[in-house]
Amino acid sequence: MPDVQSTVLEFVNKLRKRKIEGSQATARCTVELLRSVISHHRVPHHANQASALIDAVKAVGAQLVAANPVELAVGNVVRRVLHIIREEDLSLATAAVAGLDLLDASDDDDEDVNNGKGIGYPAMSAAVVAAAARSTLRPPSLQTLLEGTPESATVPYTSSSGADSESKTADKSSITRKLKHDVIEGVNQLIHEIAGCHEQIAEQAIEHIHQNEVILTLGSSRTVLEFLCAAKEKKRSFRVFVAEGAPRYQGHLLAKELVARGLQTTVITDSAVFAMISRVNMVIIGAHAVMANGGVIGPVGVNMAALAAKKHAVPFVVLAGSHKLCPLYPHNPEVLLNELRSPSELLDFGEFSDCLDFGAGSGSPLLQVVNPTFDYVPPSLGGHNPSYMYRLIADYYSADDLVM
Amino acid sequence: MWRRSASFVLDKHHNNKPISLTPSLDSPPPLSDSMAEVNPNPNPVSAYYQTRAKHHGIVTSDWLEQAQAAVVRYPDKDSPVAGRRPFSVIEEFDNWRQQPDLAEAVAAIRALAAVIRASEATTMMELEIELKKASDTLKSWDTTSISLTAGCDLFMRYVTRTSALEFEDFNAAKARVLGRAEKFGEISYKARKIIAVLSQDFIFDGCTILVHGFSRVVLEILKTAAQNKKLFRVLCTEGRPDKTGVLLAKELAKLDVPVKLLIDSAVAYSMDEVDMVIFGADGVVESGGVINMMGTYQIALVAHTMNKPVYVAAESYKFARLYPLDQKDLEPALRPVDFGVPVPPKVEVERSARDYTPPQYLTMLFTDLGVLTPSVVSDELIQLYL
Repeated sequence: MPDVQSTVLEFVNKLRKRKIEGSQATARCTVELLRSVISHHRVPHHANQASALIDAVKAVGAQLVAANPVELAVGNVVRRVLHIIREEDLSLATAAVAGLDLLDASDDDDEDVNNGKGIGYPAMSAAVVAAAARSTLRPPSLQTLLEGTPESATVPYTSSSGADSESKTADKSSITRKLKHDVIEGVNQLIHEIAGCHEQIAEQAIEHIHQNEVILTLGSSRTVLEFLCAAKEKKRSFRVFVAEGAPRYQGHLLAKELVARGLQTTVITDSAVFAMISRVNMVIIGAHAVMANGGVIGPVGVNMAALAAKKHAVPFVVLAGSHKLCPLYPHNPEVLLNELRSPSELLDFGEFSDCLDFGAGSGSPLLQVVNPTFDYVPPSLGGHNPSYMYRLIADYYSADDLVM
Repeated sequence: MWRRSASFVLDKHHNNKPISLTPSLDSPPPLSDSMAEVNPNPNPVSAYYQTRAKHHGIVTSDWLEQAQAAVVRYPDKDSPVAGRRPFSVIEEFDNWRQQPDLAEAVAAIRALAAVIRASEATTMMELEIELKKASDTLKSWDTTSISLTAGCDLFMRYVTRTSALEFEDFNAAKARVLGRAEKFGEISYKARKIIAVLSQDFIFDGCTILVHGFSRVVLEILKTAAQNKKLFRVLCTEGRPDKTGVLLAKELAKLDVPVKLLIDSAVAYSMDEVDMVIFGADGVVESGGVINMMGTYQIALVAHTMNKPVYVAAESYKFARLYPLDQKDLEPALRPVDFGVPVPPKVEVERSARDYTPPQYLTMLFTDLGVLTPSVVSDELIQLYL
C-alpha cells in the first residue's frame, strides 16, 4: 500500500508540473496507476467489496483530477474504471441471485402477496432484479420512469448481500476475489483499448480519404499521423496541407514525419488556412477532448479552421480515441478548460525584456502576452452527428460517476 | 387550398369538425356528424389552456399536500357514489385537474388508477381493455392537452409491457400498478427537483435569463438558483393574452431576484443583453422540438439569430408521440383573446394558444433523464414504444 501511495503522489506531481503531454499518454499512465491501486487494495472481509474499491478509486481519481483539471482524459479514465467495477459487480450479483433463485423458487409466490406495497427483492424473480440493477447503471429513461424502484434495486445489487443470506464465508471470499480478478481483467482491456486506439481509428482511413484528395490538418496529433499513413499504406495518393500550429510549431514536426513516411506535404502558416481552404477536400484534426454536447477541444486555431471549413462546406472530421470522450458539458470552455502557456513560446525574452519589465511605470508591464493552448469548437461547427454523443457516453460511463 | 397542413389526416379531421369562429365562445359549434359522438367535449376552446389560465392565478408550492389531501378525500367522497352511478374517468380526471399545480399528466394517471381501482376485471387482459377504453375516452375528451395524451400513453405502456407481467398473481400485479400510479405525483415532483439541480451548472453568476410565460419547472430552476446564491437577472415576457409572465415576475420578485417585464414584442429589442433563454414546455415532440405557449417560436428564432443558447425545461412525461411538420400540423388549441378594445366585425382573430418550435432552434433540453440534446427525445420514445 505505501508504495502505491508514493506512485500516486509521484504521478500527481508530474500532472501538476505538466510533465506528461498528450491525452493518450496521460490516459495510459492514469489507468496503469489505477490498476495498481486496485490490485494492491485490501478490503476487510465483511465489507462490501465493490463499494470499497469504488471509494478507493474515487479517492485517487479526485487527487489526479485536481492535479490537472484541464486534462480531461484523467477524469474520463477514472470514470471508465469506476464503470468497469460497477459492471463487474453487477454481473456477479446477477449470477449470485440467479443461483439463489433456483434454490428457493418455491418461497417466491407466497411472499409476493405479503409484500403487496413495498415490494422488496425476494418477491421479484432474478430477471426483475437484474433489470432493476441494470437500470441503476444505465441513465434514467422513460421506460424506467414508472418502473423505477431504486431503493429496492440497490439492496440486491451489491454482491455481498447477494451471497449473504445463503452461502458461507468461504464462498464469499471466492466471490470477492473473483470481483477483483474480473475488474483487473476489465482494466487491462481498457489499457489495451487506449494503447490500440490509433490503429483502430486508422483502420477507417481508407473509407474517408480518396485518391488525389487534399487534406488539411492543424497542429500535431499522433492519431492524425497514423490515420494519414494508414491511407498511404493502402496505396492512396493524396496531398496533405499542414498548418504549422504557432507558437509551438508542432505542425513542423508533423510535416517532417509525414515526409519521412513518403506523403506529399505542404506546410502553410496558420493564417493561410482560409486562403487554402477552397482547395481542400477535407479537414482532419485530432482532438484534445470531445465534450458531451459534441463540442470539441483542440489545439489553438482549430476554431478558425472549422469556421473556414464551414464557410466552404468542406467536411470537418475530428479524430478522437474513446478516452477523450468526456461526459461533462462545457461551461465557458474557452476560459475554464484552457491552459495559458509560457510567453517565451511567442516572444524572445532577450529582445522584449524592456516591454515586459514589471518594475517600470505602474508596476505591470505594458506588453501582455496571452498564449492559450486550446480552442473550443462548438458542436454546430464540428464533428459527425455530435447530437448523438450521449449514446457513446451512456455506453462508457455510469450516471453516478459524472460528478466526482 | 395548397397552403394547408402537410398532414392530410389532420386536414380531413378539420373538415369534419369546423371550428366556430364566432366571437361568443359559449355557443356550441355546429355538430356536423359522427365526430360529435366520439368527442364528448364539444367545446372548441382548449380545456387544457382554460385550466392553466385558472390555475396560474394561484401559485403554490404545496401542491403535493393538496394531492395528498385529495387522496384522503377520495374514499369518503367517491366510493359511495361509485355504488350508485357508473364510474366516469372524465369526472375523475376533472376532479384531479382542479388541483392547481398538479401536472395534467399526473391527473391523467391518477384518473386511470381510479379506473383500475373501480374495475372488476379478473385478468390482466380485461383490465388492459378497460384501461384502453378509459384512456381513449380521456384523450378524446381534451385532444388539445399533450401531457394528458402523453401521460395516458406512458401509463398504458407501463401496464402492458413492464415488470408488472413478471408477477404471476393478478392481484399483486394490480397492486403494484396502482402503487406506481399513486407514486406518480411524487415522481413528477421529484422530476422538477432533478431538473432544477441539473440546470444549475448552466446558470452562471451575472447572467441574464429570458423566460416566456409561466412554467412551474422554470420557476423551480430559478428558485433553486436563487437559493444557491447565484446572481442573475431575469427578463419576463408579458405572455399575452393571459399574462402568465406577470405572474412569474411576481413570484421572482418575491424571491428578491432582479426581474424586468417586457411586452411580448420587445424580445428582439432586449435580446442583446440576454445570455440564455429558458422555456418550459407543454409537450416535447418526437423530433425534439417543443410545443409551448404562443410566442415561444419567435423568441427561439430571435435567440438563434443572435447566437444565444435556448434551453427547454420539461419533465420526461411530457415527451409525446407527435411529429408536427409545421405550425398548423397540430390539434388546434384555442382560447379567448382579449384585445382590450372591441374587435371590429368581419375581422378574424388568431386564437391559437401555442406554437411549435423545431429542434434546430433549441440548444439543450433539461429533463429528469438528464441534460439532453433534442435528438435524444426520439430515441427515448422509440425505446419505449417500439
